[in-house]
Amino acid sequence: MVFIFGVNFNEHKLVKKALESFYALGPQKSVRILAKYCIHPRAKVGTLAPKTVTALTAELSTMTIEGDARRIVQENIQRLRDMGTYRGRRHAMGLPVRGQRTRNQTESAKRLNRVDRRG
Amino acid sequence: MPAPNCLRCLARPPPGLATPVPRTAAAASPLLNRPAATPIGTRTRAHAAPFSTTPAPAGPPVKPATPVGSGGHNRVGKKLKLGKFKTDRAAERSKVPLPGERKAYRKRITLSNDNALPVPWLADLTPSSLADPANTATVMGLPDSLQDQLRASDAFKPSQSWGMFRKPAVLVRKETVDLVNRMQDAADKKQTLRLVVTGDKVTGKSMLLLQAMAHAYLNNWIVIHLPEGQDLTTACTEYSPLADTDPVQYSQPVYVFKLIQAIKKANENLLSKMYTAVGHPGLPQSITANTSLLTLANVAKEPDAAWPVFRALWHELTHRSVARPPILFTLDGLSHITRVSDYRSPAFELIHSYDLALLRLFTDGLGGSLRLPWGGAVLAATSRSNAPRSPSMELALAQREAEQLQREVPKKDPFFRGYDERAEASLRSVQVLPVGGIDKVEARGLMEYWAASGMLRATVDNKSVSEKWTLAGNGVLGEMERASLLTMRV
Repeated sequence: MVFIFGVNFNEHKLVKKALESFYALGPQKSVRILAKYCIHPRAKVGTLAPKTVTALTAELSTMTIEGDARRIVQENIQRLRDMGTYRGRRHAMGLPVRGQRTRNQTESAKRLNRVDRRG
Repeated sequence: MPAPNCLRCLARPPPGLATPVPRTAAAASPLLNRPAATPIGTRTRAHAAPFSTTPAPAGPPVKPATPVGSGGHNRVGKKLKLGKFKTDRAAERSKVPLPGERKAYRKRITLSNDNALPVPWLADLTPSSLADPANTATVMGLPDSLQDQLRASDAFKPSQSWGMFRKPAVLVRKETVDLVNRMQDAADKKQTLRLVVTGDKVTGKSMLLLQAMAHAYLNNWIVIHLPEGQDLTTACTEYSPLADTDPVQYSQPVYVFKLIQAIKKANENLLSKMYTAVGHPGLPQSITANTSLLTLANVAKEPDAAWPVFRALWHELTHRSVARPPILFTLDGLSHITRVSDYRSPAFELIHSYDLALLRLFTDGLGGSLRLPWGGAVLAATSRSNAPRSPSMELALAQREAEQLQREVPKKDPFFRGYDERAEASLRSVQVLPVGGIDKVEARGLMEYWAASGMLRATVDNKSVSEKWTLAGNGVLGEMERASLLTMRV
């Protein structure tokens, strides 16, 4: 088990997948991080040198990921809500925001559109 | 929807029960005073009203003796049973193979077959036999020690059919004799032969490389073999930038570590008899002059130290002040390395294969900028089945071949941008050995060996040899094998 940015990863997990498990860190950023530390794309977490693991953790701590990124999204929604916009209201009601129909197929909106958005 | 049975009806005797309760039903019921539920279809039912709201029986349902008519609303219908065809998958599944087990099975190399007949006239290779034109069109066996060396350096491939015969044997063909003589000439003159083996699919390019390695091992050369170009360039193995290189080069520590192990295992005898000319203080374990090269190679105990040790070993093997054996440096799958690799630099730019330090060493050797002071050969073989497009390599090889045959040299397409300058530069002065089909004499020698091993159950005469030779596209070796060995038709 290897600790990266406070999370315990299995040794057999790909480094790329481990990085992408953080909120707001996708394929674009993960390949760049890998290149920056000269980690080949198929490297497993277990093969990383302790020095590299520390460097990765340091790198991740400078990025806007996880809680910070979530807070930004929540703030944006809260701003819309405070202004009293239509989009803000729709978020508060858990309904689609961009003019989609509400008769059916609104599961994603129900799950995601809320003022204190989680995901 | 109203309930089919009204609750009050449950408490009241049904109208049909005004007649005495049948004895059997009454006796069976624990509550004697309470009118028991009557089984449907018993005599009481006959007296019942044509339509009634009689509740369903409380006791265990009894099947009617006679089929109920159309009024039988209580009939139990078909029930949907989910997953009735499903079996317990977990119980069925046998043990799942461990990680890496499947790949090991896929990549295993079997070199003998006890069911095949031993061929009495099969002679083993000797140091000079591959260079002797008299041996052309004969099949010769690989001695045991040579098998171990070739296996250690990954010269055998799983796609080759070694596992069909009693012991591994190779066909000596004209190209073999030609190549081996060129190698030997270069070594005798302390020059470097730089050559690319090319040809169509399954014509025996890798096999020719194996024969060159066999010759080198038998004549006490040092052999360094990179079994697959793609292992180095498809970003499958660790890489790290090398300090004090400009432009930056990258070492591949894990690959080089394994390579050193292979070199050590395959060339153990030679390395233990050679001694260092200079000291190597910078290594993890300081090496003084006059230490055996095997000890030097043993210093690489972990991947981090692999590249410095490899450099030191190479430096020693190519040292001018001490007599050293010739070196054979080979690589299979050339088109994978004559292009940009899949690795990325820290600035997120693709790294050219020639910036990977090990491949740089090889391509410098192939391009001629690196000389082997004690002679030897740098050989590469192209691959046609697993090969990315490499227009520069194709063009360069076509040009060199045309130059050799003094034909018109093909020119670069001026409107195509996919050429690679560095690849062209490294292939500017190589020799090209085109490998094609074998001739009928060689085909006959091979088929006689197959027949003697009991793997080809047919008469080997001119007619059958011609037939297989023609079927195989004028003697393409792999196709001949497919046409006669790997088919179930007898």
